[in-house]
Amino acid sequence: MTEPVLLRNVDMPDGHLLATYEAGGGYQALAKAVHEHTPDEIIDLVKKSNLRGRGGAGFPTGMKWSFVPKRAGKPKYLCCNADEGEPGTFKDRIIMERDPHQLIEGMAISGYAIGAETAYVYIRGEYALAIRRLEQALAEAHAKGYLGKRILGSDFNFTVHIHCGAGAYICGEETAMLDALEGKRAQPRLKPPFPAVEGLYASPTVINNVETLACVPHIVARGPDWFRGIGPDKSPGPKLYCLSGQVRKPGLYELPMGIPLRELVEDHAGGPLPGRKIKAVIPGGVSAPLIPERGLDVGMDFDSLAAAGSMLGSAGVIVIDDSTCMVKVATRIIEFFHHESCGKCTPCREGLNWVVKVLRRVEAGQGGPGDLEQLEALCKGIFGNTFCALGDGAAMGLRAALTHFEHEFVAHIEERRCPFH
Amino acid sequence: MVSITINEQTLEVEAGSTVLQAAERLGIDIPTFCYLKRLPALASCRMCLVEIEGQRRLQPACATAVIDGMVVRASTPLIEETRSSMLDMLLANHPLDCPICDKGGECELQDLVMAYGPRESRFRDAKRVFHSKDIRLSPVIIMNVNRCIQCQRCVRMCEEVVGAVALGTVEKGMDTAVTGFEGSLASCDQCGNCVEVCPVGALMSFPYRYKARPWDLAETDTVCPHCGTGCQLTVGTRKGEFMRVRSKQEHGVNRETLCVRGRFGLDFVGSRDRIKRPMVRRDGALVPVSWEEAADYLRRRLSAVEGKVAGGLASPRLPNEVLYQFQKVMRTVFRTNNIDCASRWSTPFDALGPLVASFYTRAPLEDVIGNDCVLVVGGNVTEENPVTEYLLRDCARRRQTGLLMLSARPSRLDADARTVVRVPPGGEAAGLAAVVACLVAPASQALPGDVPVDIGTPTGKLGATDGDGPDRVAAALLDSGSVTVLVSVDLLRLPLARAALQQINKLLRILRALGKDLAMQFLFDRANQLGAWDMGVLPTALPGLRAVADDAARATFERAWGAGIPSEPGADFETMLELCDGGRMGALYIVGSDPLMSYPDRKLVTRALGAVDLLIVQDAFLTDTVGLADVVLPAASYGEESGTFTNNEGRTQKVCKFREAVFEARGNLAILDFVAALRNQQLRSSTQGEIFDEMTQLVPAYQGLTLDGLGTDGAFTRSVPTPPADEFLASPPAVPNAGDRLMLITGNCLFHNGYLSERSAILNTVAADPYVEMSARDAAQLGLSDRDHVVVRSTQGELRAQLKVNRHFPRGLVFVPENYRDLRLNSLMRQGEYPCPVEVEKVHAAFDAAAGAAAAPENPGRGIAELPGSPP
Amino acid sequence: MREKIEVAAARYPDQRSAIMPALLIAQKEHGHLPGPVLEEVADILGVERIWVYELATFYTLFRIEPVGVFHLQLCDNVSCMLRGSEDLLRHLEAVLGIKKDGTTLDGLFTLSTVECLGACEMAPVMQVGDDYHGGLDIARIDALLERLRAMTGQAIGADPATTTPPGE
Ligand SMILES: Cc1cc2nc3c(=O)[nH]c(=O)nc-3n(C[C@H](O)[C@H](O)[C@H](O)COP(=O)(O)O)c2cc1C
Ligand code: SF4
Ligand code: FES
Repeated sequence: MTEPVLLRNVDMPDGHLLATYEAGGGYQALAKAVHEHTPDEIIDLVKKSNLRGRGGAGFPTGMKWSFVPKRAGKPKYLCCNADEGEPGTFKDRIIMERDPHQLIEGMAISGYAIGAETAYVYIRGEYALAIRRLEQALAEAHAKGYLGKRILGSDFNFTVHIHCGAGAYICGEETAMLDALEGKRAQPRLKPPFPAVEGLYASPTVINNVETLACVPHIVARGPDWFRGIGPDKSPGPKLYCLSGQVRKPGLYELPMGIPLRELVEDHAGGPLPGRKIKAVIPGGVSAPLIPERGLDVGMDFDSLAAAGSMLGSAGVIVIDDSTCMVKVATRIIEFFHHESCGKCTPCREGLNWVVKVLRRVEAGQGGPGDLEQLEALCKGIFGNTFCALGDGAAMGLRAALTHFEHEFVAHIEERRCPFH
Repeated sequence: MVSITINEQTLEVEAGSTVLQAAERLGIDIPTFCYLKRLPALASCRMCLVEIEGQRRLQPACATAVIDGMVVRASTPLIEETRSSMLDMLLANHPLDCPICDKGGECELQDLVMAYGPRESRFRDAKRVFHSKDIRLSPVIIMNVNRCIQCQRCVRMCEEVVGAVALGTVEKGMDTAVTGFEGSLASCDQCGNCVEVCPVGALMSFPYRYKARPWDLAETDTVCPHCGTGCQLTVGTRKGEFMRVRSKQEHGVNRETLCVRGRFGLDFVGSRDRIKRPMVRRDGALVPVSWEEAADYLRRRLSAVEGKVAGGLASPRLPNEVLYQFQKVMRTVFRTNNIDCASRWSTPFDALGPLVASFYTRAPLEDVIGNDCVLVVGGNVTEENPVTEYLLRDCARRRQTGLLMLSARPSRLDADARTVVRVPPGGEAAGLAAVVACLVAPASQALPGDVPVDIGTPTGKLGATDGDGPDRVAAALLDSGSVTVLVSVDLLRLPLARAALQQINKLLRILRALGKDLAMQFLFDRANQLGAWDMGVLPTALPGLRAVADDAARATFERAWGAGIPSEPGADFETMLELCDGGRMGALYIVGSDPLMSYPDRKLVTRALGAVDLLIVQDAFLTDTVGLADVVLPAASYGEESGTFTNNEGRTQKVCKFREAVFEARGNLAILDFVAALRNQQLRSSTQGEIFDEMTQLVPAYQGLTLDGLGTDGAFTRSVPTPPADEFLASPPAVPNAGDRLMLITGNCLFHNGYLSERSAILNTVAADPYVEMSARDAAQLGLSDRDHVVVRSTQGELRAQLKVNRHFPRGLVFVPENYRDLRLNSLMRQGEYPCPVEVEKVHAAFDAAAGAAAAPENPGRGIAELPGSPP
Repeated sequence: MREKIEVAAARYPDQRSAIMPALLIAQKEHGHLPGPVLEEVADILGVERIWVYELATFYTLFRIEPVGVFHLQLCDNVSCMLRGSEDLLRHLEAVLGIKKDGTTLDGLFTLSTVECLGACEMAPVMQVGDDYHGGLDIARIDALLERLRAMTGQAIGADPATTTPPGE
């Protein structure tokens, strides 16, 4: 795959304008969908494509849509998860800033498929430019009849509203996002009921990530087989990889699913900074356990990374080189989760607070005997016992650091200082 | 039914049950913090995690529905370790200041740590500290955020049960704290239910603060004296001193909830204006005397009025036994049926009797309001019967009960209602008639023979906004298979009380004819109002609501009491006042009631009571009426004698003694004996137990009850239907035509519902100042704004208070809460004129000083020379 | 403010949903969200005051306390940390003479660190107003501060609270 799909327009100077989008065949997939396909056929196409959610969990998108009851007697909602809070991730921002119509077209087709007339884009409030571009694009699409009443002469009505977040990572968790949209403190909800059955305003709701939705027009336009032909069959498609950290060419890369992590980092992103060696890579945002250098030959797809004890997550690839203290990295990551814990459940709220206190001490050379065992014990108490995946992500991340870089932790405690200083 | 196995024990449970509920049934203990029985699971504390076969992770028992064949393990090494780990994490930042914590000894965190916690913690870093000094959220609620474990029970209780939405949660993660808007709960209900459900010492009762340790308290289960809901509560005393009230999750209509009056309003027992010794009037002034002197005096005065009419008024806050004995004394010793139990409204027994006999549902409220729809007529249930309101909200939100509200006064519950019909002040009867009118056509179609055709429609127009309200109510009623009607006693306050009762009767009959499953209860604002009726504290009915005129009924009681009962029906209190006023009343015997404050025509009562030959007042407190008495007999207060109350549900519950009567006060029963003895009569049964037994023999609804059988949940009296009377055709009343006038209605507010609440120092601190409530539009038209000082003027008098603009109020309605003693609200009103036309205007600053002087208490006629009852 | 909030509220079937957008509007108008503003928002939407208070404190973008004309929000999450954001923080503290979370005496700058801004490709990043500034080093920080100061050239000495930062 050499020709970019998702990033086709991003480098064009006016990639965010409707004219550019239309010139490249934009909104033809929507026309095709509403004129040539029934909603069920669209769901089927997406099922056949094996598209899996790009928000982190990798849930099959077509299957998620098929859970929405056909006749609910209630309005249905589509929510686009544009909260993009996972550290190391910026792909959704770039789509929204530079090619917002791709997302809008994807949303319209998805709304058609699930029978929703109203959609909300929950976009993080910091993304001022993306918000402006998206607003502008929505207005353009409305004016051209791609949104609104009786879209392209069909009897499909669809409106998209923007809901700006106000700074809380937990809003990316889909049920917390629903509470946020309902004007409550964003905290995850109990499941069941699942959002597809009882979501926003207790109505059937589908929540999809920006990149997931952006894939949809291409699947409709080029067919599911084309999509499935890219990357591993169980986890296919073009994929956006966000490269950052101690790497020569940080940036957003569109490459097939399943590309080996080593190839991604060393070939595409130019490898480590001059004179440095890679020590570890976080492959999917800080929720994904880090992989030490020797493990880089893993394929970047949901199943391969899970098998390797990590996860694809948001594909936020953070490269860490040998100049960096892993205790510090681990501390910073847990500080992030601690800061962003919504506070609902005990293990996440209290456990991470304890972990942070111990880690900060160890990092500062004030650790003592028993601290590492205590960290292990806390990971055990947290992992699997939290209400949502935030706490799990934190515990897994810490465990990976403790497992692969135990010597650095021990050195901090024994030398009573940070060996990297 | 589905089957579940927990720890090798198998059980069948209803589909939809949770693992936690199943475990409870098996007696398997699963610890919880965030779980609140009456609300959907939150599953946030993670204490209740269990192993479920086939599931990779531990699952919260509180939120996991049982699936047929589920196999659960609730005590394995992994679970023990997980519980211990959760507790360890909770303790890490907990201040562990148990020795100075009010909750120490009854703290759920302490208890669970004892049972499941780690023996020691490895936490060795600095603890998080929110603040060093506790935060006073309101006059009664104080918060220590450091101790909070974030179970959210308090916030959910406040929002989902009480409906106050005063508490909330601020910040997130480790900074999360429970508090009110901008850190204050100054304008919440002050019900303290948040304090009750707090498992730790985070939210605390300020009045109880540092007063006692739980293990030093003697606890007595009893019933709240404040309203007819009849909540169970537990009084804690220390060395005979009242300390606090708590509620228990398992007991009573209320479970673990109470309202502000129940939780904080029992300190009135220690009020300073208790009557210490008997008093008699000498040379125009009341002077303290011994019981013997009082006996001599009273004997003499009683024989002087021997030949004249007598009358008696007793408070519906007294226990059944006292009320029963009181009417016995009136009928057999004073030989009169002039007996009443309410000084604020009339009890037209001809309408009331048949209604109660044929429709009153003596059953748990919880069952009664689970019906398809519940129609609440009149009043403001939020403020009058708060705990009943919590249950109604519960049904509307979680059991899909359709709530229909028809009243002049808006209430918070309106927000949860399917339909709200706002009638003009005093328009309840007409509103009901309009609903009835809408039902007649469908009813006569369905059942041509049974339903009277011509019942007419009320004349006049209901509130402009609610033109089609009655239709919607009627449609909802027709749609429902089961219907409950809850009637506020507010309706009995109207001059149209009889008409209102007749309309209710009509409505219920039509619904019955339509085959609806029916229930009806009153929403009384006095703790033992139903009991008072049952006990025959009525001019026209004997105990068991049997007509005085009924020879057979009279004969039964005459035989049992060994004394004659006059055969003519007696006078109600209104008529008694006329008798007094006309100089025809010999002795008037008032027990536990203060008509001078509560009867809506202060001038008339002052004059009437002044004209009685002999006014006997038996009371625990120095009331205004005491000031007019010739003889004052100091009685035990609530809490100082045992007895029973019958609440709105018809549930008879034990009221227990938790302290000794003060000074020379005697039990009410002993005083009744004392009075009877002065007339050389001995009442056959005279202890509480004996009287209760006699009641259960002579009052059919109470048959089969035993004192021991009442337990902590009480026992239900039975409905005893009697043949219906035929006032069915009563025609509908006209809609009161107020024109553009402002009409004053009065009633209870959240903090006050009578002369007991008035004497609670704590309630007086939270209730702040009296107020005048009116709609935003009326206020704007009069150029008034919220918190202005206003004067309310009627033809009879005026009062001053702060204006409270309520955006839910309809135009034309003015509300002033009763029982703010200094307002003398009843001096604005005239007998028979209610709602009362008033004018409201701003008090100008210049007049303020003068106003203060004018508002000085009027002289109650015959003064009290000294105040022998008040403390030195 | 009322009209803007009412327009925003029309997007939702439930007024409570509009609390977040309303707070964003109110903050844009007032700079921060003191109690009376929260009360006004509750009043406009007809929702419980405590709900408004809860959201105003839950979300980090809402500020109960006022901030300087320019709010320097330096990302210190992992990707930025790996590219030297700690040094930038130390530098900013030194040149501005304030500590993290402080405001300069002239009311011009408030310095904070924030979690990942979602712009790690240009790490280290700092957000000022609506704008992201990426690829920062000490020289670029100094130049940026210079530019920001210049922007308020005339406004300095005037009431800083009434100066609208660029991009807002
Ligand atoms: C703590 C947490 C944070 C998350 N943050 C995001 C996010 O910022 N963006 C996102 O798209 N999904 C995020 N997710 C995943 C969502 O919950 C959800 O799985 C996703 O939006 C579904 O969309 P998809 O099926 O298209 O991936 C997060 C999940 C968790 C547990
Ligand atoms: S205050 Fe008490 S009840 Fe409320 S959340 Fe905290 S611990 Fe729970
Ligand atoms: S509650 Fe905090 S992560 Fe779930």
